[in-house]
Amino acid sequence: MIRKFLAPVTAHRELTAPGHHVLEFYAPELAHEAKPGQFVAVAAETGVQILRRPFSVYTVSPEQGLASILFSVYGPTTRALATYRPGDTIDLLGPLGGSGFQADPVAPVHHILIGGGYGVPPLAFLTQTLLLANPDAKVSVIVGARNKNLLVGTEGLAEVGAVLLPCTDDGSFGYKGLVTGQLNELLDQDNTPAHLYICGPTPMMKAVAGVAVVRSLPCQVSLEPFMPCGIGICMGCAVPLSDGSYARGCTEGPVFDAREVLW
Amino acid sequence: MTPDVKPNIQVQIGTLSLRNPVTTGSGTFGFGSEVADLLDLNRLGAVCVKATTSQRRVGNPPVRIVETASGMLNAIGLQNGGVENYIAEKLPYLRRFDCPIIVNVPGENPEDFAFVVRRLTEVGGADAIELNISCPNVSHGLDYATDPKLTAEVVSACRKETTLPLIAKLSPNVTDIRPIAQSAEDAGADAVSLINTLLGTSIDIRKRKFRLANITGGLSGPAIKPVALYHVWRVAQVVNVPIIGMGGISNAADAIEFLLAGATAVAVGTVNFSQPTAAIEVAEGIEAYLAENGFRDIREIIGAVERP
Repeated sequence: MIRKFLAPVTAHRELTAPGHHVLEFYAPELAHEAKPGQFVAVAAETGVQILRRPFSVYTVSPEQGLASILFSVYGPTTRALATYRPGDTIDLLGPLGGSGFQADPVAPVHHILIGGGYGVPPLAFLTQTLLLANPDAKVSVIVGARNKNLLVGTEGLAEVGAVLLPCTDDGSFGYKGLVTGQLNELLDQDNTPAHLYICGPTPMMKAVAGVAVVRSLPCQVSLEPFMPCGIGICMGCAVPLSDGSYARGCTEGPVFDAREVLW
Repeated sequence: MTPDVKPNIQVQIGTLSLRNPVTTGSGTFGFGSEVADLLDLNRLGAVCVKATTSQRRVGNPPVRIVETASGMLNAIGLQNGGVENYIAEKLPYLRRFDCPIIVNVPGENPEDFAFVVRRLTEVGGADAIELNISCPNVSHGLDYATDPKLTAEVVSACRKETTLPLIAKLSPNVTDIRPIAQSAEDAGADAVSLINTLLGTSIDIRKRKFRLANITGGLSGPAIKPVALYHVWRVAQVVNVPIIGMGGISNAADAIEFLLAGATAVAVGTVNFSQPTAAIEVAEGIEAYLAENGFRDIREIIGAVERP
């Protein structure tokens, strides 16, 4: 159920990637109900923006009623959020998103999560969910960035117990090259049937979806078109589908079968 | 007046009574079900649903919405499932609530408008119909609401098909809105709603490209409120039918300005995207304003603005 929260901020952490922050808040119903891939729509007092901004749920601690988002300072809303401290409240709607990632933690498959930049938060949440349900689930996370300084959220991924496979374009950390190179290498080494889950910049998702097609692997993508309302009423976040129609990124997504999307 | 007597905020649009004067701008509230988690639809004056056309429309390619200073541009392209889909899939849900339904109807020609009006009337699919003769995104340069004669053609064609209240939604993209409003009234409209969005565009200077795939879009939000208020005030001088005022209304104070300018009812639109409960808060705020200022009935403030 979608609720509006004026959630007390409980923690604010700066990440090693410059300009990246994690904001944790108390929103018990959200922490209980949110699924990996779902998001919240945040209204910050910016004085200039009238629309909310969507942020994927990054982590949840249902027992403590806590949830968090990860963001980089980019525009007025994120500049405002970067000033939030415990004692402040964050105005948000959530959990939003008609579909989160569908993943069976006990299936005998290799869950391979691929992302970069703002795509990492939902993958961290998915990793957490899979490993909580089945500590023996085989989960690998391929995270890409241009260089080591821009790798986002690796701390959180390591914390939740993911097998982390970082990639950098310049080789400053981990695999040197694109995530698709690392992915193909991993798939070549391992005969376990793989399920792919992607969230990241569109060119990255398109490239990984291409690998999934070539190798006939199930592949879910979490798309992040600009979502002016997040609740399915504005029709602004149109996602072109391969059947010629448009889906709402917010309520029919944000997670789609990669084959349904017109890339 | 004793302070515990609630002022009357019920208003009349043709034969339709609204429990309060606040409705939702078409296209800013989906079909009601999307927001039902967040607010009680029974507390709205009316719900005005997303535009419903004779046939299904896929809409425009993205990018469809960009945010601008105190506003936003949209070029959705009237994406909707068509009137039969509305009747089968959307209407049964809405009818579970005690809330009048206004259906916004665009059309490609008078017959097309009349067809949808007839279907909605036949099945009891609406309590009032808003004729969208002013959508800036699909008209290919021809808005019915930019011409008094074309306005009359559409309203007359629809008038023959229904006894439901007909509301003509007018465009601000004209030199003088008054003759168009008068023409709608003369052709049988029970009310006029204004304003639709203002035409605009936005350019990304880094890419040196238009931001909207459709190039142009309709500007809405707080940025257009003074323009909307001006048009409402002008139209109020020349028509006898009620006016539903809209354009950038975000709170009760905004709505009260429209009432003072001559609107009988108001619609909240773009604000629903960020504050989906706005319509209820606006209705409560109007009631509180009337009580605080000693008015017993909302009609005492409609058109009551005075010259400075």
